[in-house]
Amino acid sequence: MDRKVNDVGGLPREGALHLEEHPVTLHEKRIDAMLMLLTSPKVDAFKVDALRRAIEHHTADDYRKFGYYDKWIRAVRDLLIEQSILTAAEIDARIEQLKARRAGGAT
Amino acid sequence: MTAVPPKPGQAMNIGTMVRVSTRKPEVHCRTPSYLRGASGVVDEVVGFYRDPSLLAFHKPGLPMRLLYRVRFRHRDIWPNYMGNAADSILADLYGDWLEPIQEQSNGQA
Repeated sequence: MDRKVNDVGGLPREGALHLEEHPVTLHEKRIDAMLMLLTSPKVDAFKVDALRRAIEHHTADDYRKFGYYDKWIRAVRDLLIEQSILTAAEIDARIEQLKARRAGGAT
Repeated sequence: MTAVPPKPGQAMNIGTMVRVSTRKPEVHCRTPSYLRGASGVVDEVVGFYRDPSLLAFHKPGLPMRLLYRVRFRHRDIWPNYMGNAADSILADLYGDWLEPIQEQSNGQA
């Protein structure tokens, strides 16, 4: 059967599911806010359906490895590039800039 | 997004027995594989929505697709289901994935 990486309902798994909630982190809230803004009618960079499709295109390994919001932000990155809103080089440059700022002790 | 209600005759009736298609899914598909081929009963007609398989590729998502809420018994889905025979799950599925099943006219409901 044709099954995407996210289509895991009913698959056997090792061990029990982790059902405990954890407090939402600032990082997760920021990712959530970013998605809400990008998919808002005013901005409309893409629809949530495109986010799901982008997540489905992750490799099985990445899908297992990354958490819920990390899957979102990786998909957001892919879609911003796909929609020509940002280039991969611009995103990478900004990440390097933020890393340098953090290493410099500023917040 | 708000659903557009179907006009009379556009939707299957609540209570209709349906089977989920086993066709090859779209690139972005909202029908989980564990329900493909399963039989259930229409519980609710949710309404028309823009087509998620097209919205996923930045298209307008037209024509719209009719979304149903379908009830499946767990024992019909999972082999060796150990729970109550009446246990069920509701799934939101688009109409083009559902085929009505002809009920046998043996007098039973």
